[in-house]
Amino acid sequence: MVLALLALAAHYVRAIQYTPVEATQGMAQKIFYVHVPAAWSAFLAYGIVGLCSALFLWLHDRRLDLFAEASAEVGTVLTFIVLTTGPLWGKPIWGTWWQWEVRLTSTLFLFFLFVGYLTLRRSVYDPLERARYSAVVGILGAMLVPFIHLSVWMFRTIHPKPIILKPDGPSLPGSMLSTLLEGFAIFTVLYLGMVMVRYGIGRLQEEKEARHAAAS
Amino acid sequence: MLLRAEPPANGQYMVAAYVLVAVVLVLYVTTLFVRARGLVKEVVE
Repeated sequence: MVLALLALAAHYVRAIQYTPVEATQGMAQKIFYVHVPAAWSAFLAYGIVGLCSALFLWLHDRRLDLFAEASAEVGTVLTFIVLTTGPLWGKPIWGTWWQWEVRLTSTLFLFFLFVGYLTLRRSVYDPLERARYSAVVGILGAMLVPFIHLSVWMFRTIHPKPIILKPDGPSLPGSMLSTLLEGFAIFTVLYLGMVMVRYGIGRLQEEKEARHAAAS
Repeated sequence: MLLRAEPPANGQYMVAAYVLVAVVLVLYVTTLFVRARGLVKEVVE
């Protein structure tokens, strides 16, 4: 994870120094090299929450619930990054920090939904009930992800359309595309590192609670 | 005649975004390690 943070620093150098400046948007376009990978890894995190939650309801394995919790927390941090770097690009390009259009608003709802998921987990004391309730919320939250991705085609919106995950392939010069793909790799590794450490914390917390319960 | 304008000077927004991302990630990773270390101590003791 520390190596991934160092790789992020190298990614900054590559994006600033060795990637061409976009003619119409200027340097602000380079926000794209962190904003889009952060969005990808946040969506990956929520997808894994949904998958682990569904598997938990089926198999009743507590480890799946703990992994879903870990992924939801990391996903919420990554969504915070998406929701703050987006306006930093929007101000110079759109002339406004925020627009109440479908992509931005639904991402904000997704963020609040998972803040609610994490709050719910701290409000229910019975571990099995907590796992069941949060699994349902986790699945519902994950179902928003494809809707958010497709929203730019489903609605009239000023948010740019995807330039990689689209039917006719990526439309980006090679030098910009390679920097963006590097960002995807770094944020994916960062996500995996953070989620594994957070999962370990969940396991330790569970062991601590089990010892307290056995002692009392 | 077609004039090609210089790209707009808006690097401060990029710097703000990059600093923000680094700060959020470093803070979160630090809290993860602090939480993990505290729990390891408690569980081992």
